[in-house]
Amino acid sequence: MKDFEVVVIADGCTDGTTKMLESYRTPFALRIGQQPGQGAAAARNHGAEIASGRLLIFLDDDVEPTPLLIDAHVQAHTAHPGHVVMGPYYPVLHSQGDFIHVAVRLWWHKKFETMQQPGHRYTYQDLLSGNLSMEAELFTRIGGFDPTIRSAGGEDYELGVRLLKAGISLSLIPNALAYHHETMNLSRSFQRMRQEGRADVHIGRQHPELRPILSLAHFGEVHSLKSLITHALAFNHPRIGDGLASLLFHALRLLERIRFRAAWHRFFGRLRQYWYLRGVAEEIGSRNALVKFLQEGPAHADQGGHEIEIDLSDGIEAAERRLDIERPACLRIRYRHYVVGRIPPQAGAEMLRGAHLRPFLARTDLAWRLLRAMIVDGATTQRPILIDGGGRDSIR
Amino acid sequence: MATAVVDIDFEQIPEQLSGLHKYTKALVLVRLRGRPIGQATFTVTNGRISGTQLRDGLLNIGARPYWEQYLHDYLAWDPQRVSGFVPPTATVAVTTRDRPEDLTRCLQAIRRLPDDGQELLVIDNCPSNDAAKRIVESFPGIRYVREDRPGASAARNRALREAKREVVAFSDDDAAPDQGWLRALVRNFSDPLVLCVTGLTMPLELETEAQEWFERHCPFGRGFKRFVLEAHGRNPLHVAPAGTSANMALRRCLLDTVGLFDEALGPGTPSKTGEDFDMFSRILTSGHRIVYDPEALSWHRHRRTWKELQQVIHGYGAGVYAYLTRSMFVERELSAPSIAWNWLRYNQVPQLIKAVLRRSDGKPTDLLIAELRGCLLGPWAYLSSRRKLMKRNRVL
Repeated sequence: MKDFEVVVIADGCTDGTTKMLESYRTPFALRIGQQPGQGAAAARNHGAEIASGRLLIFLDDDVEPTPLLIDAHVQAHTAHPGHVVMGPYYPVLHSQGDFIHVAVRLWWHKKFETMQQPGHRYTYQDLLSGNLSMEAELFTRIGGFDPTIRSAGGEDYELGVRLLKAGISLSLIPNALAYHHETMNLSRSFQRMRQEGRADVHIGRQHPELRPILSLAHFGEVHSLKSLITHALAFNHPRIGDGLASLLFHALRLLERIRFRAAWHRFFGRLRQYWYLRGVAEEIGSRNALVKFLQEGPAHADQGGHEIEIDLSDGIEAAERRLDIERPACLRIRYRHYVVGRIPPQAGAEMLRGAHLRPFLARTDLAWRLLRAMIVDGATTQRPILIDGGGRDSIR
Repeated sequence: MATAVVDIDFEQIPEQLSGLHKYTKALVLVRLRGRPIGQATFTVTNGRISGTQLRDGLLNIGARPYWEQYLHDYLAWDPQRVSGFVPPTATVAVTTRDRPEDLTRCLQAIRRLPDDGQELLVIDNCPSNDAAKRIVESFPGIRYVREDRPGASAARNRALREAKREVVAFSDDDAAPDQGWLRALVRNFSDPLVLCVTGLTMPLELETEAQEWFERHCPFGRGFKRFVLEAHGRNPLHVAPAGTSANMALRRCLLDTVGLFDEALGPGTPSKTGEDFDMFSRILTSGHRIVYDPEALSWHRHRRTWKELQQVIHGYGAGVYAYLTRSMFVERELSAPSIAWNWLRYNQVPQLIKAVLRRSDGKPTDLLIAELRGCLLGPWAYLSSRRKLMKRNRVL
């Protein structure tokens, strides 16, 4: 209990939080900071400023750490100095069957599940700030969270973009486990979408190369009558839009009561799109401004970058070592003079590591093309079994 | 004429299969290193199947999995590996009722499972004599529990309460689990959202027309590819793909979240079946997952006589509609009636018309009528079953 301190930042609290904290007895050092409602990004920066530790662990106030959490973070930093480390924080459900809870929980589980998969290629959207740690020095060097993103939601992604651009590695440590006591309901979820819309415009402004992969690029296209109406409402007639949205909101409740899931999900998705676009509209002004915003960015997100070529006939370990040293954005794979394929560059994602290679081969059909190259090259002696068996080439 | 059931490893295809004079056909389960990868049917001529015939047939099935395995070995890649996961220990629970011969076979198979510290349990449901008790006593290390409330659901609930381990693997008394069965089941609990794992059920024998017909038209197996079911993007009331309760494992903590089996459903009650469908759908609607893993292989003895088959089919009809009735009245799933109606409208009635007009070689008319009778009785069966249950609970 002696080797860590806890910093609490009360951001615009009017409910006596600070008073409670001042009289709160803790077995560890507790520091308290106050600020007048400036948003999560500013609050975390404030906390980092007054913290004296070498390592910063950020926890949200609705995240309940398990006893090993601090140890797990510290160990991860000892094992991988310079990394940004996250722990999973699974939502705790306060109701079992609510559609919104089921959907939200599934989203979080899938998020942590993909991040834990071997060889996962981290993207800026994997930077989650509820249970996050990095060295204080790195936090200062990278410039902390962007306090101009005032709302909660989006400021973490933006930090993710900068970290990955700086070549910092992210990792998720299952042992740094926490539980998330989030109060989630429909209106909160729509509020989140609205904040995300605003934050995405912000991210697009700071990092124009990401514009094509932000949700607003996808939602920015009008491909059906329904999305045309959604757009018109969000950008030009927000008053009517908000009225309709509140009607649909009640319809959602009704659909949930009669347990019509498919229709509920359709309406829910439409409403989320509407609130996201409302957020975008608030930040950017008009539809024309959005179109211009997208046109000014690159047409494709994947702008290439450092590309190398490996030859798998030298052995897969050698290829992995080379990837770990060179950290390219994309990769051409050959087996002697046979072309196997390419791992394309991915905007907003980390540079390639050795650990990415095997999973990428195994999960795509590149493995089959590699096999064909190996057989043609005579590298595998396994083939005769099947030739004897039926005289057919199985790979095609 | 009968069909032989044969188990062959793809890497050790025999020169020929002989001594099959009793049979006209053979159903071959193909494995690769013990893992089931497919099945094929062969014609038996003069009591034998030639090696060429076998290799030709098996190549179609085995080639792709074989090379996939080769690639995974080359890449040292295990698609299912979760680092740091220790599989939970299990309780194996066999539920039985007056079938001493089957029970003996089942327990012999269960004794052959590799010892991973599993607890072995037999739940004897409303026995008419002490035959089962004496059989269990002849197997050391198996605990005998007698459950006097009638029905498979009551027996399974008892097993869930008696079990001391985290996972309960259920086998029916008329099934014989394969050696790798239990390990394959428990391995899938690495994902905290998984509450239920089901396995591949193959026929133990196909000696009679009734057994052949059953395997052809309503097999228990759900294919040779592992898959995960969840409520997202599909109606969680459609649970037929989830598999069967004759071969499944449940995480015991589901008692807290999903609850017990409904004792008004299932064999031994007027509803006849449906308890598994109900459990599966409740697992899915509560936002959890079900995994089907064909490596969890078990062999099931189908009913031998046509009369028994009629009863089974009748029971399926009744069980499905009893389950849908429960979904509607207890879970307030208002989409249940439309599912019931669609099944009747697009499946059973057209099939019956075809059968009557002799326009198809599908299900025979007597079975269709048995099924339809079951469907129409299902809702009343459930309601009366529930009334009976409530009365009994009041008496107790």
